[in-house]
Amino acid sequence: MERLVEELIRIQDEGGAGVLATVVEAETSSGVDAGEKCLIRDGKPVVGTIRHERFLAAIVNEAHARLKEEKSKLVTVELPDAGGTAEVFFEVLPAPPKLIVVGAGHIAVPLAKVAKILDFKVTVLDDRILFANRDRFPDADDIRVGDMAAELKSTTITPSTYIVLITRGHKYDEPCLREIIYSPAKYIGMIGSRRRIKACFERFKNEEKIAEEVIERVYAPIGLDLATETPEEIAVSIMAEIVKVRRGGEAKSLSGK
Amino acid sequence: MASSGTCHDDAGGPKKETIYHQVKEFLDKGETLAVATIVSTKGSTPREVGAKMVVTAWGEILGTIGGGCGEADVKREAIEVIRTRQPKTVRVDLLDDIASDSPAVCGGIMNVFIEPWTK
Repeated sequence: MERLVEELIRIQDEGGAGVLATVVEAETSSGVDAGEKCLIRDGKPVVGTIRHERFLAAIVNEAHARLKEEKSKLVTVELPDAGGTAEVFFEVLPAPPKLIVVGAGHIAVPLAKVAKILDFKVTVLDDRILFANRDRFPDADDIRVGDMAAELKSTTITPSTYIVLITRGHKYDEPCLREIIYSPAKYIGMIGSRRRIKACFERFKNEEKIAEEVIERVYAPIGLDLATETPEEIAVSIMAEIVKVRRGGEAKSLSGK
Repeated sequence: MASSGTCHDDAGGPKKETIYHQVKEFLDKGETLAVATIVSTKGSTPREVGAKMVVTAWGEILGTIGGGCGEADVKREAIEVIRTRQPKTVRVDLLDDIASDSPAVCGGIMNVFIEPWTK
């Protein structure tokens, strides 16, 4: 187990993602035993005790699906030669989600705080050092000052990245959105009134020739409908929407009221 | 920060320790551990699928699968797993004791896989 535990720690220290597959139950005739396991990282088995080659291939495949869903799950996997099945638990070790807050104004401050509580790695971008600084964002993981669209261009964006565009005006939001609209980010949200957003999307369609389905991925107006009034409440509404996108809920009151 | 009247945690804080860091320490000392993982649930349960609890041969516990009676049962089984070195799945029924005051009584069922880990 020593190497396995070391690899598990390494994945977490490096902010990487992986899947630990463990056989929980298998038919005795199958030649596979409960407790056999395999750690998968970047689509490849890294360390483990599962030797059955085709079974291992099936597990690597399933691990890919689990990681995409970011959900640990018990799955019945076929044992190709034995003609039976095995119950395999896939434990997903997701990369920590990263939130990029573009625009360091009055909503960004509570937004960064709420995101830290929710265990996001938080990056704050703005072109004004008076706004993007340690005094205002004491617990942000990274604060960057510079042209926001250019900063976004040089930032690594993965499927576990969430981006919130809350700059001081559409003049700034639009070039930023253009920079990230084709990125693999899990979430792109942009602040603004319905009317201004509509105008922005029209321009994207007509002048930039960006397809409708691409534009549709943007959450704008941003946030869940909580009839918010304060910047803090808007921050909660935005993070609630991000949790919803991440976990796949419906965002209704569970009581049905 | 104190002068501004607000209070913050340390900006960075120590690097986040995970349960696997603690597991490593025990394994490095040559101990055998039982690792208990919730692999499936039905109905309402205190923790989610994937939640883990590690039990040492002396009954020390790292992490939680929800506390209460269910956890006590799993701990007992875990010590047995350390002794036999045979993994097993334990079904924890939280329906039993619905009138109990324990916060762990949620009304659901969870299957917990317990396996021995050694160096």
